[in-house]
Amino acid sequence: MRNALTGVERALFWTLAFAAFAAAAAGLSARAVDRVAADYEAARSSYAIVRVVAPEGPAGLAAAEMALAQTPLVRSAAPMTAGRAAALLSEWGGADVSAENMPPLRLVEVELAPSAAQRDVSGDIVAALAQGGVTAELIQAPDDAGGGGLATRVRMAAFWGALVFSLMMAVIVSLAARSLAARRREMVTVMCDLGATRGQTAGRVADEAAVLGLYAGLAGGALAAVAGVIVLWLAIPGLNLNALPQMILPVDLVPIVAAPLGAAIAAGAGARAAAGYFHAQAARLG
Amino acid sequence: MARPNNPDFDLYQSGVLVRLTGVDAGYGAATVLVGIDFEARAGEVSLITGPAAAGKTTMTHLMRLALPPRSGRAVILGLDVGRSGGKARANVKKRIGYVAENPVFVEQWTAFDNIAMPLRMAGHKPRDYAEDVRELVDFVGLGGAADLAMEKLSGAERRRAAIARALAGKPELILADDPTAGMSPGDGRRVVRLLAEMRRVGTCIIVASQDETLADCAPMLRWRIDRGRLTPVDHAAPQEAEAFE
Repeated sequence: MRNALTGVERALFWTLAFAAFAAAAAGLSARAVDRVAADYEAARSSYAIVRVVAPEGPAGLAAAEMALAQTPLVRSAAPMTAGRAAALLSEWGGADVSAENMPPLRLVEVELAPSAAQRDVSGDIVAALAQGGVTAELIQAPDDAGGGGLATRVRMAAFWGALVFSLMMAVIVSLAARSLAARRREMVTVMCDLGATRGQTAGRVADEAAVLGLYAGLAGGALAAVAGVIVLWLAIPGLNLNALPQMILPVDLVPIVAAPLGAAIAAGAGARAAAGYFHAQAARLG
Repeated sequence: MARPNNPDFDLYQSGVLVRLTGVDAGYGAATVLVGIDFEARAGEVSLITGPAAAGKTTMTHLMRLALPPRSGRAVILGLDVGRSGGKARANVKKRIGYVAENPVFVEQWTAFDNIAMPLRMAGHKPRDYAEDVRELVDFVGLGGAADLAMEKLSGAERRRAAIARALAGKPELILADDPTAGMSPGDGRRVVRLLAEMRRVGTCIIVASQDETLADCAPMLRWRIDRGRLTPVDHAAPQEAEAFE
């Protein structure tokens, strides 16, 4: 017998590999969006700024820092320096702000504990400061009503978008695999004439398509993985090979693992349906 | 295999491998076979002759279970074709060797692989069947062409390969549809003699052809089909085999 991967089969292999690559890349993109959104959400919900009203001056800031340090809601608290304030203003306003031009600040940056997001953080912090003899207000605090659900919606959109796209790729793989059954039509006819049942004939063609799909999926998944690493390399300055494995979570590998399995299943199913149809045509004339 | 205590199975046990009773068959709106009555027994060779488009190929399709009867009864190897399911038909098909007018092969495979296909489908390993297939190749006179891809074989070689494939599964019934088409008269007669040889092991052979002189190749029961109607021709006991050697 000749090499199995010639002509139509080779073209089919690369079609399936491309579809698997596209599906895996969509999955990896969805994972990236998910992680960025999750990080944004975590950062947004764990950060607050306290403005100390009284007592004034460094004493007020020290008292506020001490009171906040004793609050279970707070992971860390530190007075905002002029340099840090200038950097933030530059980031928000777009224009350079000099630290020397900054007025005396009465701000304390607070990093909240993860569990704090579910509580009335603003009220609890103000109460904790009041117990420490500090009058203060929160000028930035977690607020689920003000766009707080956006990250979740983005994550869901990425997930469902990738899923729908992957299903579309599976349909393309399934349709493309029918060409293999058409290519094996002679064999289907011969098997039918020799007494093979529809299941046997379709199963044989489906097995061949599934193996082809598996290898094409492995190729597509591997290419998507390489592309993903390149994108990470370009997107994250200072990334090195030692840090890379620690960055990648097991769940990030799901699209790469799913690509060959999905391609094998879709190709097998498509080829099985087509071969079964051809068998039925050969089995019954008239 | 049909169940015991079944009249069709009893018929098969008594040696009647094919019995068609009042069978009509056709394709779409066209009725090709009309009121066919036919019987063939184990160890017999039947020759069905008739002009082109008389219904020879349709009758072959009917007997190889590819075409259901529209009316009447067709019992092939103990199976009532009109009342059987796909699985039962597939099981009976495995016991039929079919030489088509235009045989279909897997063109990229060698003739050897194509001939061995019934054995592979039956689950035999190549090391177990290789010798038998080589013998078959020699028996049909395919020789070295067996190792060539099917697409490189001539028409006569393809027909020999088709015969070898039909014999590979040791069938109980062999159906040959115009097996000498495209062959020289000498080659054609040799092919029919080859097929007829299988009667010695109890195989029932049915040959459909336009060539009435094939009846001289071996002891045969002759039938004539014309416009879908089949009639027996000179059904005295077939001459002794020795007369044809």
